[in-house]
Amino acid sequence: MSTAIRQRTSLSPRQRAKINRNVQYAILIAVVLIAGVLTDWGTVGEKFFNPAVIADQFPEVVTTALKNTIIYTALGFVLGLALGLLLALMKISPVAPYRWIATLYIEFFRGVPALLVFIAFGYAVPYAFGIRIDTYMTVMLALGIVESAYIAETLRAGLQAVPKGQYEAARSLGMSNSRAMITIVIPQAVRIILPPLTNEIIMMTKDSSLIYLLGLTASQYELAKFGREAISSPEAGLTPLVVAGAAYLVITVPLGILARKFESRTAKLSRE
Amino acid sequence: MTTSTSSPSQPADAGRPGPVTTASAQGCTITDLHKSYGDVEVLKGISLNVEPGEVVCLIGPSGSGKSTLLRCINLLEEPNGGSITVAGFDATDPDVQIDAMRAQVGMVFQSFNLFPHMTALENCSIAQRRVRGRSKEEADAVSRTNLENVGLAHLADRYPDQLSGGQQQRVAIARALAMEPSLMLFDEPTSALDPETVGDVLGVMRQLAEAGMTMVVVTHEMGFARDVADRVVFMDGGVLVEEGPAQEVIGNPQHERTQSFLARVLHADGTLDG
Repeated sequence: MSTAIRQRTSLSPRQRAKINRNVQYAILIAVVLIAGVLTDWGTVGEKFFNPAVIADQFPEVVTTALKNTIIYTALGFVLGLALGLLLALMKISPVAPYRWIATLYIEFFRGVPALLVFIAFGYAVPYAFGIRIDTYMTVMLALGIVESAYIAETLRAGLQAVPKGQYEAARSLGMSNSRAMITIVIPQAVRIILPPLTNEIIMMTKDSSLIYLLGLTASQYELAKFGREAISSPEAGLTPLVVAGAAYLVITVPLGILARKFESRTAKLSRE
Repeated sequence: MTTSTSSPSQPADAGRPGPVTTASAQGCTITDLHKSYGDVEVLKGISLNVEPGEVVCLIGPSGSGKSTLLRCINLLEEPNGGSITVAGFDATDPDVQIDAMRAQVGMVFQSFNLFPHMTALENCSIAQRRVRGRSKEEADAVSRTNLENVGLAHLADRYPDQLSGGQQQRVAIARALAMEPSLMLFDEPTSALDPETVGDVLGVMRQLAEAGMTMVVVTHEMGFARDVADRVVFMDGGVLVEEGPAQEVIGNPQHERTQSFLARVLHADGTLDG
């Protein structure tokens, strides 16, 4: 009886939290409704989601642009992973000069915009050395070198996250340093670094768009350049950019889901 | 042992009771060993001789340097001075074949350090294959024999996270024995275990001692030290305070520091177990 009376006279914390939540929902719905009413849907539909223009983008947006974005990213990732592993091992090496070189490299390429590195490999390096670097090589070098700095730090953290006892146990069984790293430490580090490494690939997918700075032939267009070229015709509106953006999401969203999968798997492993 | 043999290979000690070949047991001689971390001297001139087949327990308060001493024997810690001869290797020679030496010296850790990405069987086989150069079949056969000797043949395909602490530690012992070492080092092998699994691990170690393995054991298990060790060494503050037959050092310690340490641990334990 007494509790019923109290409920009528004052609110319990749970009731207060419920009212608080309902107010937030109400505000959110109001904002969406006002935005919906104020928007000129006709113009938006025509400029951003024009079905005729969307249809125009196919199949090239997939067969050329999406394909090239994936190729550029993959090339950069292969070089980035190889260089990154080398740098990570240098960074944890007992040889001090290796550590210095790795630190210098990582700080430099993490610190300068990727854009500058693309310009350097696209124009400055070929000019300075009088050589020709083809587009695929340029994107591989620029993306790979920039990303290797990030990947190196990810790998180093992963290698150092493997308990020291694992290395000691391997060495105690008579394994050499490199054998212990290859057989025992690196396989465990890979599990730890898969989630952050997947995030690196997402970043690289987007950074591959920087290649648009260089003169590309139509067959070399990747998504960003492809979209940019398509909006140059006045009747296209901004629809090609929306299509290009959606194509990026086709790559990055599954990668994000994959990263979360790896994350929960790693969490489960370390919990056990 | 050749690796190219095509016949289904039998491990050298298959079918023989007891987990090790005793004929290969070797000793260890430590002379005036010094070890410092920065300004802190952890070992202040330790000399200790372990005969082949002898079981020596190192006891003492935490921070007394007993684990450091043990880790110096297989060079997980690098000594600053003195000399160590172990399993026929001069460990303090800068040109020592460190990997060959370690393959002869089994090490069991407090935290097991099983490889979590490998099954119990793979844990036991990996070093045999990569270090001893045995074929997979040959290594697995040796591993199964050793897992059987620690009572875990039926769990060979489990991963470490599917095993209890006591089972993991027994796999770790089997892993070390699969290399057919001539001396075994134990660094507080039961300190991280649930009380009810301690007995299984000590049982395996007891069996190993009876089979004639040379063992150096850092332990807080006074009952085990008293019953199994040939000799007990009490360390405190980086020096070897007292050593002697197990019954004497534990039952009738001469040195005042040994007496107060034993009074503390035995009082905390209530009593000595079996």
